[in-house]
Amino acid sequence: MSLVQALFMGLLQGASELFPVSSLGHAVLVPSLLHWSFKQSDPSFVPFLVLLHLGTASALLVVYRNDWVAIIRGFFTAALAGQMRNDSERLAMLLLVGTIPAAVLGVFLENRIKSLFASPYAAAAFLIANGVLMLAFEVLRRRREHGTSREEQESHFAQAERISFPAAAIVGACQALAFLPGISRSGVTIGGGLLAGLRHQEAARFSFLLATPTILGAGVVEVPQLFSSGVPLGEYVLAAVLAGIAAYASARFLIGYFRSGRLDPYGLYCIAAGLVSLALLHFGL
Amino acid sequence: MKSNGVAVVLGILGVLFIVAAVLYVIGGILPTFTSSSSAGPHYKHAILFAVLAVASFVAANFARPRTV
Repeated sequence: MSLVQALFMGLLQGASELFPVSSLGHAVLVPSLLHWSFKQSDPSFVPFLVLLHLGTASALLVVYRNDWVAIIRGFFTAALAGQMRNDSERLAMLLLVGTIPAAVLGVFLENRIKSLFASPYAAAAFLIANGVLMLAFEVLRRRREHGTSREEQESHFAQAERISFPAAAIVGACQALAFLPGISRSGVTIGGGLLAGLRHQEAARFSFLLATPTILGAGVVEVPQLFSSGVPLGEYVLAAVLAGIAAYASARFLIGYFRSGRLDPYGLYCIAAGLVSLALLHFGL
Repeated sequence: MKSNGVAVVLGILGVLFIVAAVLYVIGGILPTFTSSSSAGPHYKHAILFAVLAVASFVAANFARPRTV
């Protein structure tokens, strides 16, 4: 992988990780469509992705630094007291409950699922499925909305701290769907949050908070590979920094966007991108 | 659900998770139970079981009836 390719992949991963459009799907599809010669089965590709994810997770930690300080403090006080007395403590426990199903499924199933479906055709097909899912989430959500203005419609829904514990576990488990290249982790968790009664912006916040320990945990566990595989560490770190900057900008944009925006545009993008990718792959263009 | 019974069960579960985590670190669990084909330490699994142990102890503390 050349330096330019590494930087491009960093930018692509960082930007697409938080948008509900599947970073993994894009990471599989884009190199194939650009006819890049590097192989994703190469032993150095996993450490590369690990570093990019660490860049993304670092950006999320910076964006939500105040939340994380309160969440970590809330976790210890609630765990020791055996009860939740404020929103930070409740959010800490919700994130714990939401992270465990994803971690269990990730450790035992991730590699098997990824190796089964890591083809550009599968990624394009799942990208279309992801688009349909995003549109379906919004259709189901609209049935429960009242009022004419977006502000009025959103006001009937709750903050992330008010999601129920079973719903948090289900939303967390939904992250496992993102092992399928083309299915977006943030998309399914934001959609799950919407169905659980959260505002769009709060569903995005819960999704990003939920993603941080998962991405960071996966990254930290894989870090030793970086030192044993003889990879060009400097180039990879540069790409990770770029991924972090792109993820920070994406998070800032999406937090603002979901004040009134919906998942529909991303759903339509995924369907269009999946169909175009399938056509390009089929005709070998 | 506040009950001493539930708290005890969750506490025992926590201990079992710690044992599993230690076994994964020292490579005492067969590769059948991991996605890897090699024997030896499986740190990813060990960390997972350590997290599950912490979650179990936290849940046990939540399940314990308050005396005050």
